[in-house]
Amino acid sequence: MQKRTIHKNPMYICVRYLIQEPMIYSSELIKGTLKTIILKLLKDNKRMYGYEITQRVKELTNGKIQLTEGALYPSLHALEADGILTTESEYNGKRIRKYYSLSKQGKTLTNEKISEFADFMNTMKFLLDIKTDVA
Amino acid sequence: MYHITDQQIDFILNDIRRNGVEIEDLQLNLLDHLCCIIENELEENGDFEQFYFQTIKKFYKKELREIEEETQSLLTYKNYYVMKKVMIISGAISAGLLSLGIFFKFMHWPGAAMGIVLGISILSFVFLPLMFVLKSKEKKEVRDKVLIALGTLSAITISLAILFKVMHWPGANMMAVSALLMMLFLFLPIYFFNGIRNPESKLNTIVSSVLILAGCGLFLTLVRTPTGSRKMYVELTRNYIANEELLQYEKGFQLPVNNSSKFSQNYNDGKRIDLLCEELKRFIVKTETGVEKLDMDFESKETWLSDDRILNLIEEDQTASTKWSELKNAINEYNKLNAQTSVDGEKPLQINAFILNFKDCKTTEALNSLIQIQQFVLQNEKIIASIR
Repeated sequence: MQKRTIHKNPMYICVRYLIQEPMIYSSELIKGTLKTIILKLLKDNKRMYGYEITQRVKELTNGKIQLTEGALYPSLHALEADGILTTESEYNGKRIRKYYSLSKQGKTLTNEKISEFADFMNTMKFLLDIKTDVA
Repeated sequence: MYHITDQQIDFILNDIRRNGVEIEDLQLNLLDHLCCIIENELEENGDFEQFYFQTIKKFYKKELREIEEETQSLLTYKNYYVMKKVMIISGAISAGLLSLGIFFKFMHWPGAAMGIVLGISILSFVFLPLMFVLKSKEKKEVRDKVLIALGTLSAITISLAILFKVMHWPGANMMAVSALLMMLFLFLPIYFFNGIRNPESKLNTIVSSVLILAGCGLFLTLVRTPTGSRKMYVELTRNYIANEELLQYEKGFQLPVNNSSKFSQNYNDGKRIDLLCEELKRFIVKTETGVEKLDMDFESKETWLSDDRILNLIEEDQTASTKWSELKNAINEYNKLNAQTSVDGEKPLQINAFILNFKDCKTTEALNSLIQIQQFVLQNEKIIASIR
């Protein structure tokens, strides 16, 4: 309990930022965008399995976004149940690997989700008065 | 790269299962995921078990079960909202139908029964069960769930008992009694002692308990006591016996009718009606009390008539049912014949036999009405005989 309050402490975050430790986004931030991340990855890669998704995200974000298994799999199962994802299973001895891909409905949803998030980002930029980096 | 053996796969799968992951798809997903991590990150001669336990710890905050629970809740999330919507809509519909049914009932418009039956049915079979499912989902402890189940069950039984009562379907009283017993002696004590211990819910518990007690009390205030029933049955029976006595006394003054008289048809039809009435009365008395004939000492023999519905008796007995409709037809014929008959300008009386169309009446009402029919016949006999 004590430890957790330290992590949430703004001072702690500032100190970490100052000493240039690689920043890992908090799970609260990831939670709202997890669906969008999964959908976008599947749109670009046709079909992927769970481990592959976590690795790809880590790779693409230089480790800044690390999807936890505890968040990823429940979302994958829910998206499948909603008909947004379709699955194929591949057997490898005792192991079964489940590949996820977008259904027709999922493809439309992906575009919607991405444009929704782009709009959200613009709003947040304005709301929080964030200056865009000048190249 | 580490090579995972089949035994190690079994070991991982068993560990996942043992830690509360029940969805098979999820088990397999996690298994493959763990295998990938181990294969990619563990050195060829690394310690499998140590690495495995280190890795799986990163999957959760407190327990591995969290993943299962999160998945389950995401899967039911959608259902949850649908259920909530259905509950609210069904509640509104049943309340609306019930109010409308009651309004129609008081206005004596057709369709009242349908509104009431549908309203109570939706309340007891859709709204209350859904409320139970949703409410019990919010509670974690088994005791709370049992409490909600008991409350819902008694609420359903009470509303069905009232439905059965107004529709005169059998079993209403038994249902009402068992629902009240369950409510007062099972639900209320558990609810009261459960809630009073917690200072936060203490006041609410006391208020709700008083409301429940008062509700049951008001309900029971409307219920006739067994002694009250007995008193009423005795009075009704006494009334019937007195009517019967008067009828038999009147019959003693019967005037002889000549069979060749031009009114012999009226006379014979009347006699048939009288006979059918007698037979039906004997059947009702016999089935209700077990004796052929009731005397004034019925109270000591405990052979009184109850307020059973005539419908229940007639429906179960083929002969009685036939006689009932036979009597109805006979009276129709008799009335038609009498309408064409004129005895020196005087017309025989028309029998009012509306009770025969009203099978939902009580047995004592039926008996008295049958006597009334016989009285009509008797008066008509007098009209025919006196003029002849």
